[in-house]
Amino acid sequence: MAVTLMSRIDPNWAWEPYRPKRESPWNLQRVAHLYRRAAFGGRWQEIETALKAGPEKTLARLLNREPDQAEATSAFYADSETQVTALLATGNVENLPAWWLNLMARTPHPLLERVALVWHGHFATSAAKVEDAELMLAQNALIRRQALAEFQPLVLGMARDPAMLLWLDSATNKKAHPNENFAREVMELFCLGLGNYTENDIKESARAFTGWEVRHREFQFNSYQHDEGSKTVLGQTGNWNGEDIIRILLEQPAAAQFLVGKFYRAFISETDDPSPELIEALAAGYRKHNYNTGWLVERILSSNLFFSEHALGQRVKSPVEMAIGVMRGLNFSVNAFALADDLRAQGQAVFYPPNVKGWDGGREWINSAALLSRMNLIWAMVSGVDNRFKSPPDLAEIAAENGFTTPAEQVIWLTNLLLGGPLPADVQLRLTALAAENDNGSQRLARVVQAIAARPEFHVA
Amino acid sequence: MLLDATRSHKLSVKPRGADMTTPFSRRRFLQTSVGTSSLVALGLDVPGFLARTAQAASLRRNGNRSKPDNVLVVIQLSGGNDGLNTVIPYADPLYAKNRILLRIPEQQIIKIDDHIGFHPSLSSFGELLEQDQLAVVQGVGYPNPDRSHFRSMDIWHSAAPKDLSPRTGWLGRALDSKAAKTTRDAAALHLGANELPLALVARETAVPSIDSLDAFRLRTSGGALTTDTLRELSQLPTQRESALAQFIQRSTLSAIDSSQRVQESLSEKSGPTTYPGYGLARKLQLVAQLIDAGMETGIYYVELAGFDTHSSQVDTHAALLRELGDSTTAFLKDLQARGQQDRVLVMSFSEFGRRVRENSSAGTDHGTAAPMFLAGAPVQSGAIGAHPSLIDLQAGDLKFHTDFRSVYAGVLDGWLGCDSSSILDGKFQPTPVLRV
Repeated sequence: MAVTLMSRIDPNWAWEPYRPKRESPWNLQRVAHLYRRAAFGGRWQEIETALKAGPEKTLARLLNREPDQAEATSAFYADSETQVTALLATGNVENLPAWWLNLMARTPHPLLERVALVWHGHFATSAAKVEDAELMLAQNALIRRQALAEFQPLVLGMARDPAMLLWLDSATNKKAHPNENFAREVMELFCLGLGNYTENDIKESARAFTGWEVRHREFQFNSYQHDEGSKTVLGQTGNWNGEDIIRILLEQPAAAQFLVGKFYRAFISETDDPSPELIEALAAGYRKHNYNTGWLVERILSSNLFFSEHALGQRVKSPVEMAIGVMRGLNFSVNAFALADDLRAQGQAVFYPPNVKGWDGGREWINSAALLSRMNLIWAMVSGVDNRFKSPPDLAEIAAENGFTTPAEQVIWLTNLLLGGPLPADVQLRLTALAAENDNGSQRLARVVQAIAARPEFHVA
Repeated sequence: MLLDATRSHKLSVKPRGADMTTPFSRRRFLQTSVGTSSLVALGLDVPGFLARTAQAASLRRNGNRSKPDNVLVVIQLSGGNDGLNTVIPYADPLYAKNRILLRIPEQQIIKIDDHIGFHPSLSSFGELLEQDQLAVVQGVGYPNPDRSHFRSMDIWHSAAPKDLSPRTGWLGRALDSKAAKTTRDAAALHLGANELPLALVARETAVPSIDSLDAFRLRTSGGALTTDTLRELSQLPTQRESALAQFIQRSTLSAIDSSQRVQESLSEKSGPTTYPGYGLARKLQLVAQLIDAGMETGIYYVELAGFDTHSSQVDTHAALLRELGDSTTAFLKDLQARGQQDRVLVMSFSEFGRRVRENSSAGTDHGTAAPMFLAGAPVQSGAIGAHPSLIDLQAGDLKFHTDFRSVYAGVLDGWLGCDSSSILDGKFQPTPVLRV
């Protein structure tokens, strides 16, 4: 790929809606790319439908806006609420990751879960410390409610979220000893990023959050402990409370830039630093739309830049994205508890992020041991030989249902489905030889999938 | 700078006379008297001020002990270890004044000299000092300290405080500075389920993270798909060139190769030493097994988390220090039993210390300077540098006097055989952590 400096990208072109052209056609590669980024991965039928429907209708479907979707989606999420009730009855906080993974694998609105996962990394709160399933689920519900809506209610909700406050040791916040932890993270990690505030801004904001506390597992405002004095934060002076601080933070130009930068990394590219102009071009719209993340995500996923070489294959799949992508693509389910354990060992336990900063992503996911774990997980899921995952997909049958019966056709189908196109001819030939091997049928295609998982193309998104 | 004799007298459970008659102590006596004032070396019970004078007067240099098969084991104490309750300036009345609830009573402190001593959970570190196997570098930090966990950890990992978004770590750059890789083993290993620490992130060298050695076994469905077939398939060129895909391809090769090597090394012996039942101990035992199995990995990295003690820290902190001390000591014993002790240097650090004054929740908030530990047979044992003043503070925090990059320089130059000035952003005087 020719390397174009990111600073040379015209911001106007970048965020304009993508229209298929001769040099950038609406083809399998771009459809698979969109499904990988927006929905973890697409089923063959979804990909075929999208190829015919074109980018606009496909995006509408991914945004859950097609007329036939609303009912099914509501029913699914209503049903998942029932599961939550059952889950809470067990009281076991360690069941949460399996519950969410199962939701990601089955949801008719995968973009919602994909964005929720981004926010979970952004507001990274770990059940390892909170140790309360109900509070963790309440935070998860807050994230899901606001994932594709306005940011201000999300961050304000976090400022009052018992799980968050317990996580940041901010369950008590007294006038005489303001707790700086939440005030620091709301600037450094949630709204502005390093370099856009001073230590003094933190100290002053901490005073504004005094009296915000958790009592009996619920948020409450304790006016006796609230500092009513005047505070100066980022140049604004007044008797501020926590809501004022969040308003002040979101009035900073850095806020939209910081958040857009996060979504750039999550949806466009992890390999290049975007120019300030490129980010600002989108940040301006995010501000104008009241920090509506649904608007932001739609704009990104429909942009020229998203469908360009600057974005294609320029992210590393996280372990969760990789596993859920294969499950959705091949339309099978596995024991979610075993899957959660495996992903935890790979460093991505949902509900248990490693620290307040969440998962760094990108190359940080890649090292030799991680690749062994990734290859071993894919092998375990599709071969069924490993006793953790008992019901492997019948790959030959799924291939046949889609009309692919010969080894050569099946290999092309698998690479199209999992990679968005064929591998180099010599690799493709070797895979076909594996698929044609003369022994028991299901393992033949499982071996092809395992070989695909040893290819670098499989690990990028 | 060392207080061997003074300190060992205080720690000794044996009568000093008996101690001094053992050949081992006599040897140490002779060694010590070369480098420090004879007064201190005599092992008399000198008052603290004399000891400190001796410290200031005897300038030591860092030994050059670099050899190709040296091993560095880094223990990261995540969360910000309360240095003030780790190496405690018990003789300073300001200690008790600032630590009303958290103060360790003087009679419980493992005394190093008339001024400082270890938290009681670090009794095994007292033994290591006795055995000349522990260096305590006091007052370590860096200019313009940052109290954010992530920023400060990034600074310690990158050793480049001015770089706001560092891409490589100091150990990663050390790996890259070495000549082309000649062995099949990973140059460094991270033992942990978390992401690879930035310290180990290199431009060229891929460093694996493993949680258990079983993770190093590549599973296949057999038949035509052997490990060798998988290796070949993984290395065939990609359709379109991309730096990211190439990086993944190199890491895949390293993955398949290390898998075979580790399986070979594991079929060998396990050691005779008993380890305590801690997570850190389990990881260090794996490190000892790998070293003894002849793995040519030069750097192992492990983490002990939980030091972010904002509230009710007494029991938590005591338990963490116990885990650190007892696990490290068991590891060094094991290495000795396996005859590997001279190849291995252990270093521990935390992203910052904590405020001098405790907070209102019986905890401590983010601070600045704190001690670092270097352990093992190769170290120049004893306390290095004075405890930072409890009165001359900076915004309620201890002032550092030793830049952490000086300690890194001591390790890079004297142990890993690198040129520290090309790895750190500038020239730092190596802290004398290694025996001459």
